[in-house]
Amino acid sequence: MTLKQYQVVKITFVVFLAVIFSQLIDGKNYLLPIGVMMAGSLIMMLLRRRVNGVVADERDYATGGKAALLAMQIYGWLAASSMFVFYGLKDTNPAFEPIGMTLAFSTCLLMLIYSAIFRYYNRVKLMDGKLIYTVAVLVFFLIMIVVAFKNF
Amino acid sequence: MANRIKEFRNKLNLTQDDLAKLAGVRRETIVFLEQDKYNPSLKLAHDVAKALKSSIPEIFNLE
Repeated sequence: MTLKQYQVVKITFVVFLAVIFSQLIDGKNYLLPIGVMMAGSLIMMLLRRRVNGVVADERDYATGGKAALLAMQIYGWLAASSMFVFYGLKDTNPAFEPIGMTLAFSTCLLMLIYSAIFRYYNRVKLMDGKLIYTVAVLVFFLIMIVVAFKNF
Repeated sequence: MANRIKEFRNKLNLTQDDLAKLAGVRRETIVFLEQDKYNPSLKLAHDVAKALKSSIPEIFNLE
């Protein structure tokens, strides 16, 4: 499979998955979409292996890094400012409060994940305690998820 | 960072696609390199120089 063929197949497949995903959510089915997403990721991984030639090189990774950082900053600012608006308008509609809280927590989670991954690549990757760091971060996030669900 | 990739590539009668395959990158990266719009890593500079049967100082000029 050539790179161009792979890109066409990828876009078609993503559109197809998005349609199935939204239809399942619309039909109040919440478990099947997870299975669809996992199967989709697996199929994409297998397709990627069949491509002859380079799918992504160092320039793509550098561009991807810059784009991800910018996207994160834009999302952070948008979510934080929207959160204040939603939280300020909670008296007009009670549904605004959970939306504001979700935006605030998702921003915090995004920043934490970014910081953990950044620290890993910036320092920890070169050190001996890679496994300890990874386990500690996973345990930290697990505790956060448990606490969040307990308070929910 | 100026470079002589195009000159060396033409000497060896290589297309951008050929050089990309030899250096293990996408053709677009070679286009960006030739137009001085991307600074390669040391590894990529080495791979490009090797593919062009030359050395890094001959291909890339840091001044």
